[in-house]
Amino acid sequence: MRIPRSLVLLLAVAALVASIGYFWRNRVDSGQNAKGGPRSGGKVVVTYRSEPGSFNRYVAPRVAEDLIARLIHATLVRVDRTTGQVEPRLAREWSTSPDGLTWVFTLEKGITFSDGVPFTAADVVFSFRALYDPAVKSALGSSLLIGGEQMKVRALDAHTVSIVLPKSYAPGISLLDALPILPEHKLRAALDAGAFADAWGVTTAVSEMAGLGPFVIKEYRPGQRLAFGRNPRFWKRDESGRVLPYLDELELQFTPEQNAEVLRLQAGEADLMTDRVRFEDLASLQDLAKQGRVTLHTAGVSIGPDMLWFNLDPAAKSAQGRAWLQHDELRHAISRAVSRTTIVNTVFLGEAVEIAGPITPGHGEWFLRDLPLPAFDPADAVRRLASIGLKDRNGDGLLDDQRGKTASFSILTPKGNSIRERSVDIIQEQVRKIGLKVDVVALDGGAVRTALGEGNYDAIYYAVEADSLDPGRHLDFWLSSRPMHFWHPSQPTPSTTWEARIDQLMTQQSTTVDHAERLRLFAEVQRLFAEHEPVVYFAAPKVIVATSARVGGVKAALFAPNVLWNAEKLFIQASADSRR
Amino acid sequence: MTNGLTRFVLRRFTVAILFVVVVGSAALVLVRLAPGDPTDDLFMRGADAETIAAARHRLGLDQPIGSQLARWVAGLTRLDLGESSRFGLPVAGLVADRMRNTAELAGLALLVAAIVGLPLGVVTGTRPRSVVGRIVTIVSVALVCCPPIIGTLMLLFLAASTGWLSIAPGNFVVPTLALALPLAAMLERLQSQSMAEAFAAPDIVAAAARGVPVRRLIWIHAARQALRPVLGVAGIVVATLFSGSIAVETMTSWPGLGRLMLDALLSRDLFLVAGCALAGSSLVAMGNFLADLLRASVDPRVGQPS
Repeated sequence: MRIPRSLVLLLAVAALVASIGYFWRNRVDSGQNAKGGPRSGGKVVVTYRSEPGSFNRYVAPRVAEDLIARLIHATLVRVDRTTGQVEPRLAREWSTSPDGLTWVFTLEKGITFSDGVPFTAADVVFSFRALYDPAVKSALGSSLLIGGEQMKVRALDAHTVSIVLPKSYAPGISLLDALPILPEHKLRAALDAGAFADAWGVTTAVSEMAGLGPFVIKEYRPGQRLAFGRNPRFWKRDESGRVLPYLDELELQFTPEQNAEVLRLQAGEADLMTDRVRFEDLASLQDLAKQGRVTLHTAGVSIGPDMLWFNLDPAAKSAQGRAWLQHDELRHAISRAVSRTTIVNTVFLGEAVEIAGPITPGHGEWFLRDLPLPAFDPADAVRRLASIGLKDRNGDGLLDDQRGKTASFSILTPKGNSIRERSVDIIQEQVRKIGLKVDVVALDGGAVRTALGEGNYDAIYYAVEADSLDPGRHLDFWLSSRPMHFWHPSQPTPSTTWEARIDQLMTQQSTTVDHAERLRLFAEVQRLFAEHEPVVYFAAPKVIVATSARVGGVKAALFAPNVLWNAEKLFIQASADSRR
Repeated sequence: MTNGLTRFVLRRFTVAILFVVVVGSAALVLVRLAPGDPTDDLFMRGADAETIAAARHRLGLDQPIGSQLARWVAGLTRLDLGESSRFGLPVAGLVADRMRNTAELAGLALLVAAIVGLPLGVVTGTRPRSVVGRIVTIVSVALVCCPPIIGTLMLLFLAASTGWLSIAPGNFVVPTLALALPLAAMLERLQSQSMAEAFAAPDIVAAAARGVPVRRLIWIHAARQALRPVLGVAGIVVATLFSGSIAVETMTSWPGLGRLMLDALLSRDLFLVAGCALAGSSLVAMGNFLADLLRASVDPRVGQPS
C-alpha cells in the first residue's frame, strides 16, 4: 500500500508540534511534579557554622538548638516569618475569651510522634510542666514568662487545651511559636527524676528521640554533620494535599569558617549557608546568580541593625568629669555628623537603607514612615556640641570641655565582624571632623558583653538579633527596668521622665489588644525615642540569602533561621537532577 | 638501653608530663580570668538575673578560681577533665574523639611532608643552582612564609574553583595538603641546608675520594648524615604541626582538636578549653618524645654526658 505524501507530511508536522509541546511543557514545569506542584525527594545540604550543645531545646538557648528544634519538633502555632501572621500548626484552631487571657486550642487529631505514639493534649501539658520546672532552669522558660509569671495550661480533653495568660499580652499566642511540644512518653521519667536538663544530649541515640516535626535526626557526627530524614509520620499537607516535607533528606554540614561556607556554595557542594550573605561576598555571588548557579533572595530590610549607644547610667565611671558624655546633644551631634549615605554606599554597597531608630522598614506596619531622618549637617553638630560646652579652646582642631580637657571617648565593638568594624571606622573618621576624638576598641565579644554587664564603658557599637517583628515581644529593650535597656539597664525606677513615659506607653502597648491603639502608642514611643536618641542608628542592611539554584520553595525571612524556618516546603528543582 | 639513655628518656618523660599539666592549668586559669563567660549568651537574650545566676552556679563560675583549679588538677589523676558547659558531657570523651582525628590528620600530613620535603631537600642541597633547585627553593620559601590561614584559604579557593578536590567536612585531602605543604617546605629548607653542610664533612669528602659513586654518596652517605640536624628540630616541626592545625581544621571543617578548642574558646567553655589544651599539649609532648627517641637512635651522642 502506498501512503499518500500529504499524510506523511501531516504526521511529521503533528510529531513536530507534539515534540515542541512536550519540551515546552517540561520547560515551564521545571521543578514541578506531574500535578504541577513542587517535586518530592532529594537532599539539601546546608553549611552551618555552630554545632548543637544539646538536642534539648528547653535547656540549650543557642540558635543551633533552635534550628534543630524547628526541624524535628512542632509547635502549637507558628508565625509566618514573612508576614508575621500566626498560623495553625499542632493547634488546628483556637478561640479566646473577651479579656484576651484565656485561649482554648483544638488540637489536630490522628497525629503521631515520629515513633508512632499518638500526640494528645497531655503532651502539651507535659511540655509546659518541663518548661517551668524549677529544677530544669530552662532559659527558654524564662523567655516564655509574661510579666515574670507563668502561663497556666490545662487539658480539657484529649485534643483540647486551655492556656491562661497571667496578664493581658498583646503579642498573644505568637509567643508559642518558640515552644516545641515534646513527647511525654519519652521524657516524663527524666523530668520526674530531676534529670530533664541532661536528657537528649548530643550523645543520645537517635532512636531515643521522637518529635512531631517534618524531619527526624538520622545521624550525628560531631564536627562533621547532622543528617535529617523525612519524618514519615509528619501530618502536614501542602495546599494541594500533598505530603510534606518535600525533601527526603536535609543535612547540616558543620563549616565553622564563613569564607569556607561561601566557597562551598560557589563550588556547588552546598545549597544553603548558615545565614545571610555578607556584603564582601555579594559581588561574587551576584556573578554566580547571573550564571544561574546561585539564587539570591532578598527578604527585606534587617530588623536588627547595628547601633551606637552611650553609657547613660548617671553613676557610671565614664561619666565622672565628663557629664557631656551623657547629654542628649552629644548623641544628636553624632547623628548629624555622620553621613548615613556614606555608610550605606561604602559599607553596604548600596544594599541598605538609612534609618534613625531601632524600627526599620523591615518591621512593616510598626515602622513610622513620617519620622524625620536627622540630616547630615556637621555645622549643626558643631553648634550642638558648643551648646554643651565643647569647643576648640586651644586651636588644635579638637574640642575641649569647659576645663580645657580634650573631649574624647572610646567605642567598644566586637572584633571579627568586618561590616561593623568598617562602619565604626567611618563614624570615628567623620566625628573627628567635628573635633571629637574617638578611640575604637575592637574586643572579643565576651569582653564587650562583660563591659556592658559591668557598665564599664563609654560607648558600644553592636547589634542584637531580633526574633520578632512585634515590638511587644521586645520589652527587654524598651522598659527601663529590663537588662537589655542597654544604655541604662535594670533601673529600679526610670531615671528620666522620657524613659518613664516610654515604660508607660510600652506597658500599655503590650497589653492592649486593640491593634490600632497599639500602633498609635508605638508611634509615640518612636517619636520620644527619636527626640532623645539614647541609641544612634545609621543604616539597616537588606537581608539577602543565597541558595544554590537547584533549591525551590524558598521563603526568605528577616531573622534566623532565614530559610530553614520553612524547611518542609523546600524542594529540588527538576532541572537540577544531575547536579548532585 | 644504656644508663645514660634510660636517664634521658625518664627525664624527657617527666618533663613532658609536667608540660602537659602546666599547659592545661594555664589554659583553665587564662580562660577563667578572661572577660566573659558561658552565660553571656543568656544575658544577650534577655534572661533574668536569677536564670543567669543559676547557670553560673551550675557551671561552678561562682567558685574561686583556686579551688576550681585544684579540683581540676585532682581530677586529672582519675582522667576526669570536668564537664563541658556547652555539651553537658564529660570533657574526656569529647576530647578523645577529636584528639584521634587531629592525630590522624597530623600523622598523615607529617608523612606527606617527609615524603615530599626530604627528597626535595636533598635535590636542592646538592644542585642548588639547577632550574629545579631554584624553582623548589622559591616555592618553599613562599610556603614557609605563608601563614597557615592564607595557605588554607588559597587551597580551598583552588579546590572550589576547579572542582578537583572536595571541600566537604571530613574530607581529608585539603586539610592534609594545607598542613603538609608548609611543613614539607620547612623540611626541604632544613634538609637542603644540612646537605650543603654534610658535603663539606670530612667523611663525605673521604668517601668521594675513595670513588664512591655520586648517587650513592648523595642519597646514602650525605642524606643520612644530613638527617640528624633535621631530626634535631623535630620538636619544632611537631609543635608547628599542631599550632597550624587550629587554623587548618577550622577553615577546612576537619573535626579535630583545634577546631573543638576554638569552639570552646568562643563559647567560654572553661573545662573544654582546658581539656583541649591538655590533649593538644599531650600530642605535642608525645611527638617531641618520639622525636627525641628517634634522634637518640640515629645519634649515639644523645643522652651521653657532655
